[in-house]
Amino acid sequence: MLRAEERSTTEWLHHLTALPGTPGHEHAAAREVEKAFGLYADRVERDRVGNVRAWIEGRGAAPRPRALLAAHMDRIGFLVKAVEPGGFLRLTELGGFDPRTLLGKEVVIHSKPQMAALFGTRPPHLQRPGESDRVLPVEELYLDTGRPEREVRRKAVIGTPVTLRQPPVSLLSGRMAAPAMDDRAGLVVLLRTLESLSHDRPMWDVVAVATVEEEFASICIGARTATESIDPQLGIAIDVSHGDMPGAREGDTVPLGGGPSLCVGGNIHPKVVDGLRASARALGMTVQIEGCPMGSGTDAMDIQIAREGVPTAVIGIPCRYMHTGIETVEPRDVDRCAQLLAHYLAALPEEWRATETLK
Amino acid sequence: MSRDSAPAFEERFLEAFSNAVGVSGGEESVRTAVADAVKDHVDTLEVDAMGSLVARIAPSGRRRGPHVMLCAHMDEVGVMITGIESDGRLRFRKVGGIDSRILVGQVFRIGGNGLRGVAGTLPPHLIQRADRDKVAAIEDLYLDIGAASRAEAQERVAIGDYATFDTTYERWGDTRKGKAFDDRAGCAVLASLVRSRPPIPVTAVWSVQEEVGLRGAAGAARRVAPDLAIVLEGTASGEGPGLSPEESAPLMGAGPALTVQDRSLMADARLVDLIERTARRRKIPTQWKRPGIGGTDAGRIAISGAGVPAAVISVPCRYIHAPAAYLDIKDARRTVALVWHTLDSLTKEWP
Repeated sequence: MLRAEERSTTEWLHHLTALPGTPGHEHAAAREVEKAFGLYADRVERDRVGNVRAWIEGRGAAPRPRALLAAHMDRIGFLVKAVEPGGFLRLTELGGFDPRTLLGKEVVIHSKPQMAALFGTRPPHLQRPGESDRVLPVEELYLDTGRPEREVRRKAVIGTPVTLRQPPVSLLSGRMAAPAMDDRAGLVVLLRTLESLSHDRPMWDVVAVATVEEEFASICIGARTATESIDPQLGIAIDVSHGDMPGAREGDTVPLGGGPSLCVGGNIHPKVVDGLRASARALGMTVQIEGCPMGSGTDAMDIQIAREGVPTAVIGIPCRYMHTGIETVEPRDVDRCAQLLAHYLAALPEEWRATETLK
Repeated sequence: MSRDSAPAFEERFLEAFSNAVGVSGGEESVRTAVADAVKDHVDTLEVDAMGSLVARIAPSGRRRGPHVMLCAHMDEVGVMITGIESDGRLRFRKVGGIDSRILVGQVFRIGGNGLRGVAGTLPPHLIQRADRDKVAAIEDLYLDIGAASRAEAQERVAIGDYATFDTTYERWGDTRKGKAFDDRAGCAVLASLVRSRPPIPVTAVWSVQEEVGLRGAAGAARRVAPDLAIVLEGTASGEGPGLSPEESAPLMGAGPALTVQDRSLMADARLVDLIERTARRRKIPTQWKRPGIGGTDAGRIAISGAGVPAAVISVPCRYIHAPAAYLDIKDARRTVALVWHTLDSLTKEWP
């Protein structure tokens, strides 16, 4: 029986990609994530840095080993850096949009109350020769709210977060394009995994963590602090992987609709990948293997080196056009990632450890 | 109706026309929306050989004056689907003047059945560092509609289908946001004007194909054969951070912009003078459009037949030819009033 608050994967993607949440400003998103995780988890809590943690208690005898699952709650965006005469706003980046895709885009300025705005563009009629041959870096872009300067100065104080304003777009094959699929799609994987584990209990305790500040700085602050305090014996990050796109070299992308991708490389413990592949075989599911020679660039980077070291894996959701307003995923892939993760955790023996005693 | 009471600017027309899709050569939806708005108020309503909409409206009472053609173009810039790749991606080309830099990452409305497509590109992570600062050539862009094969795409799209920016009309304060204000602003001003019977004979033309070379207005002007013409436009305002006052003009919110000269036209000096004096008398603020920039249907109309004295009155709009533009609703209202009072002035002052 479907409860009123339950949604399809596509509906969850709609709901979660619409929430704000630039790094450091995840509170509003966290409230919604808490509600969602609360549908299935035994316990949901917000930690000191703002991570949302949802616990599934295992069937094994206490004290049980713990698996930490991480998907990041923050999304890339901007902060208001300066207000120029005329009320035009200059921005500083949080997380690295592709600057080639910003001109003419609409945004939301998260002032109180919010204001819509857009990235100003010089119309072709008024451009100097050659002006349109140059990509404008973020420092040269500006926002125009279409409001009087006085009002802009009062509302859009320095530091106000800004996110792209692009409603989700439905494409053929059930595919969906929206900003913030990175990594709200990962949050939906966590949600579906919690749902599954609430019926099919693992031996281990499982803690699904919606992390803060993955897109900020070189340290994934939320994942690092969560790992320090939870002390897991296994860590798995769920994030988006580059989906197949024309012009990409072989090996740089995984096909959309092709199921989960599994990273391999130094950031990943081979035993965990072996287990995930065994689960995929048991489910009759295809997985893509993605080589990550310099690390995965996900929360797993900091989970792995917290405490005494944690065996980690990364499950990737194929996603086209990353770090634009049209990040495109196929909801089927999201479901498959969750099925794979839930199967692996439910089958994980209580005594499984990555550490070995040789003598 | 009293001479003093100009008709109101009907914002609902601007909203309906802005949201309608009408790339140059495919203006049917806009034409239907305009025809619906005006058909109960005009004496005749026709579609000419190229697709322009022509409405005649006789003067009220016995007042006489020249036969005036008022013209606004229905078409907007956009793209046309020109090819379907074997993997289901759509190739496209620009229709009208668009800065290529605004295409990447945009969402498009394709054809008339609500299909959406996104203009994809490789993320910066996957391209050579040296190429990250390069503007993608239009030939390298494509629309992704989610189709996995040519056959799947062909079920929904045909070569020659048009696509426009997926932008919805909105309002806050005096600002209005929407796509295609160039020239749906003029279309809405004109539709608002003809809801009242003017003091002199007027033929209203909503023209096609302005953005691909001022093509629709030529035939329409020949058919209408007016004594003089006023073209109604949404023109580019120039504001931006750090720009000189000269570069910033005309300004949104500072009143209708009058054209002295552009790349297509030397505006008729007597007519411009009459418009300006009318504005001063009626206390309607106006400003000058920067000379030498752009071109409008007036350039075609002016050289029609034995020649037609022509002028252009524009609503200044920020960010035309981009996914979303702004205009100040006060400017649209002032433009309706200025044109109306100009028609009135013509009864007395035009030989």
